[in-house]
Amino acid sequence: MIAALWHNLDYAASVILFCIGLYAVITKENLIKKFMGLNIMETAVFAFIVAIGVVEGGEAPIMGAGVEPPFINPLPQALILTGIVVALSTTALALSLIIRIWKQCGTIEADELREVE
Amino acid sequence: MRRALVIFVLVAVAIPLMLAMAELPRHGSPDAPPQTHVAPYYLEHGPEEAGAENVVTAVILNYRGFDTQGEVTVIFTAMAAVVAVLVAGGAGVPADRAAAPATTPVSLIVRFIVRVLAPFIVLFSVYVILNGHVTPGGGFQGGTILGALLIALTLIMSESDARALLPQRPQRLLQAAAPLTFFAVGMIGLLLTGDYLAYPHSGPTIWIATLMLTVVEIGIGIGGAMVVATIFRTMGADR
Amino acid sequence: MTPWPPLLALLIVVPLTGAVITPVVGRTRAVRSADWSLGVMLATSVIALVLVVQVARVGPFSYVVGGWVAPYGIELRFDEFGAVIAVICLLGTLAMVFSRRYAAQAMAEQRIPYYYALLLLNLTGMIGFAVTGDLFNLFVFMEILSLSGYALVAVSGEKIAEMAAFKYLVMGAISSLVILLAIGILYALTGSLNMADVTGRLAGAPAAPLAVAFGALTLGFMVKAAAFPLHIWLPDAHAIAPSPVSAILSGLVVKVGIIGMLRVYQIAYGSGAVDMRALNHVLMWLGALSIVMGAFFAVFQDDIKMMLAYSTISNIGYIIMGLGLASSYGMIGASVHVFNHAIIKATLFLGAGALIFQTGKRTLTDLAGVGHAMPWTVAAISVGAISIVGIPPTAGFVCKWYIALGAVQAGHPFFAFALVFGALFIFIYYIRMVNAFYFRQPRDPAILEVTEAPASMLVPVLILASLCLIMGVMGSLPLSFIEPAVQRLLLPLGGG
Repeated sequence: MIAALWHNLDYAASVILFCIGLYAVITKENLIKKFMGLNIMETAVFAFIVAIGVVEGGEAPIMGAGVEPPFINPLPQALILTGIVVALSTTALALSLIIRIWKQCGTIEADELREVE
Repeated sequence: MRRALVIFVLVAVAIPLMLAMAELPRHGSPDAPPQTHVAPYYLEHGPEEAGAENVVTAVILNYRGFDTQGEVTVIFTAMAAVVAVLVAGGAGVPADRAAAPATTPVSLIVRFIVRVLAPFIVLFSVYVILNGHVTPGGGFQGGTILGALLIALTLIMSESDARALLPQRPQRLLQAAAPLTFFAVGMIGLLLTGDYLAYPHSGPTIWIATLMLTVVEIGIGIGGAMVVATIFRTMGADR
Repeated sequence: MTPWPPLLALLIVVPLTGAVITPVVGRTRAVRSADWSLGVMLATSVIALVLVVQVARVGPFSYVVGGWVAPYGIELRFDEFGAVIAVICLLGTLAMVFSRRYAAQAMAEQRIPYYYALLLLNLTGMIGFAVTGDLFNLFVFMEILSLSGYALVAVSGEKIAEMAAFKYLVMGAISSLVILLAIGILYALTGSLNMADVTGRLAGAPAAPLAVAFGALTLGFMVKAAAFPLHIWLPDAHAIAPSPVSAILSGLVVKVGIIGMLRVYQIAYGSGAVDMRALNHVLMWLGALSIVMGAFFAVFQDDIKMMLAYSTISNIGYIIMGLGLASSYGMIGASVHVFNHAIIKATLFLGAGALIFQTGKRTLTDLAGVGHAMPWTVAAISVGAISIVGIPPTAGFVCKWYIALGAVQAGHPFFAFALVFGALFIFIYYIRMVNAFYFRQPRDPAILEVTEAPASMLVPVLILASLCLIMGVMGSLPLSFIEPAVQRLLLPLGGG
C-alpha cells in the first residue's frame, strides 16, 4: 500500500491537507478560524481534482503553433474554476454572517456564543 | 478526552481516504481513464468545434457552458445573500447609500499608486477578458481584476465620488449581467440552431459564434467585477 | 403533443433568469418583486406540468444542453423521480403568495427584493438538482440551493438567526465538500461525469476507492437530509427561518439528500460494481434511529416550529429506512413519501406561520385555545397533523403502510416495528398540539380576540390541507406513477 501511495503522492498530500482543515473546523472556537479550516478543506478537494488531470510531461492545453501532445487534461481545470467561484461565494456569505454575529453578540468565539444563547 | 476524540475522527477520516487514494489509477499516467475517455475528444475537436485554442475555455464556455451559467448564478446568489443578510444592519439606511466612514485616513502613497495604476489595471483586465480563448484567462479572471480595481478605488475615494463611479440606476442590472448574458446568448442559440446555449459551429455564420462567445466573456467579466465590488462595499458599509 | 426537448433546459433557465432580475424589478417598490417572482413561478409551473405529463406518457427522456452528445455536453435527464419538480413548483408558488403579507411585516423594505430573489434561486437550484444527469452539474445546483438556503435562514430577523444560519452553513459546506470529493474519485475511476456513462464504466474499478466514493456520497447526502446523528443543524435553522422558508426547507430542501441518494442508487445498482448491502444496513439503522429520536425530541418541545422541525427528522427517517430496505414496496413508499411529506409539512409550517403571524406567540402553552379564534387555520393544521401521523384516509397513511410492507418483504420485520413505534410517538405529540389548540384553557384570554389569518395566508394553507386529503383518497395514483421507475432501479437486483 505504501508503495502504491508513493506513486499517488499528490493525492495523499491532498488527504493530509483535508485532515488539517478538518482539524481546524473541529477544534477552533473562533468562527473565522473555523471557517478558514473549511477553506483549507476546500483547497484540498480542489487540489485533488486538479491533480487527476495531470499527465506526465504534459503541456498546458492551449493549442497553437509549436505545441506538441501530450496535453494536460482540461476538464478538471474547468471544473475547479467553477469550484473556486463556489468556494468564494460560500466564504463571502460566511463572513457576512460573522459580521452580523459580532454586531449582535459582541463575540465570535463559539464557546462564548453558546453561553449567549 | 476531547483530544482523543479529535484524533479518532481524523484517523477515521484519513485511513479510508488513504486506502482509496492508493488504489486510484497512477497519478500522471497517460493511460488513466480520465486521460483516455472524454478529455481526448475535447483536445482533438475543441479548437475547431468551439473556436477556442485554449481548450479549458472551450470546455467552460461550450461543452460545459451550462455549468458556467450555474456558476455565475452561484456568485450572484452569494451577492444577493450578503446584501440580504447585511442590509438590515443599516437601520433604515439603504446599503447603497449608507456612508462608509473611513476609520483611518488613506495615505498619500496609496492614493497616488492606485491612481497611477488604475488605467493599466483596466487595460490588463480587458486584455485578459478578451483573450481568454487563446491565452490563460477569460471572463472570471479579468472580471476579478476589474473588481479588485473597483475595490481599490472605493478605498481611496470619498463616498460621493465612489457613488459617481458606480451609477445607482443600472447597478442592479449590471450585478446580474453575467446570468443575463448567458440567458440572452442561450436563447439566441435556441433561435439559430434549435438548441439552448448552442453556437452555430460552421458555415457562413461562424462569425456569429465568435461574437456570442465574446459577448459571454464580457458579460461574465462585468458581472463578476460588479458582484465582487458589491460584496466588498456592502460589508464595508455595515460597520 | 410532441416532446420538445429544449423545454427541459428552459425549465431551469426561466426561473433562474427570473431570479436575477427580481432585485431590478423591486428597486423602487418592493412589492413589485413579489408580483414578479410569483409570475415567474407560475410560468415555471406550466413548463413543469407539461414535462410531468410527458414523462407519464412516454417515460424518461433527456436533453443535452448546447447540442453536444451525451458524455461531452451536460445531459439533463427527466424521469419519474424528477416529477418532484411538480411539488417544488406547487410549494414555491404557495410560499410566494404566503410571503406577501409576512415579508411586508417582518422585513425591512430593501431586504424584500433580495428575499424573493433568494427564494426563487433556492427553488431553481432544487429543480436543477432534480433533473440534471451530470455529476458536476448536480454539485453546482446543490450549491445554488444551499447558499440561498443559508441566507434565507439568516434573514428572519430572529435573535439567533445568524448563529443558526452559520451552523447550517458549516455543516452544509462540509457535506458539499464530501460529495465533491466523491465525484472527484468517480471521475478519476471512469473519466466521465455523465451519470449514465459513469454507471456503464464502473465495472472492474478497484474496490477501495469505490467503497469510499459511495460511502462519502451517502454521508454527504445524509447530512443534507438530516438523518439522526447528523441532524444537529436542522432544528434551529428550520425553526428560526421565516415561516414560508421553513415550509420550503422542511418540505423540500432536506429531500435533496433523498433525491441525491436515489441517483446514487441508480449508479450503484445500474453498474453492478458496487455492493450496497452494507450501506443499506447503515441506512436502515439511520432511518430507524431518526424515526424514534426525532419523534422523541419532538415530544418535549413547546415551541411549535421547533416541534415541527424535529418531526421532519422523524419523517425523513421513514424515507431513509424505505430506501435502505431496497425492496420494491419500501422504495415506492419512500419515493411517494417524498411528495406527500412535502405537502403535509408545508401545511403545518404555513399554518403555524399564520398562527404566529396573527398572535405573535409561538409556544403551545401560549397558543392554547387559539382554535376558537382562528378556526380555519387550526382546522387545516389538524388535517396536517392527522396526515403526518398516518391515520388512514389521509396522505401519510399510504406511504408508511408501503414502507412497513417493504420491511416485511425485505425480511426485516423488526424495522416495521420501529416504524409503528415511531408513529405512536408522533401520534402523542400531535394529539398534544391539537388538544392545546382546541381544548386547553387559554393562558391569556386575549388570544380569543385574535382574528382569522388574511386571505393571502389562509388560502395557501387551505389548498395544502385539502391536498393532504385528496392525496389520501387518490393514494394509488402516485404509487402507480412511480412504480416503473422503482422497478427499473431494482431490476439489476432481480426485480426486487
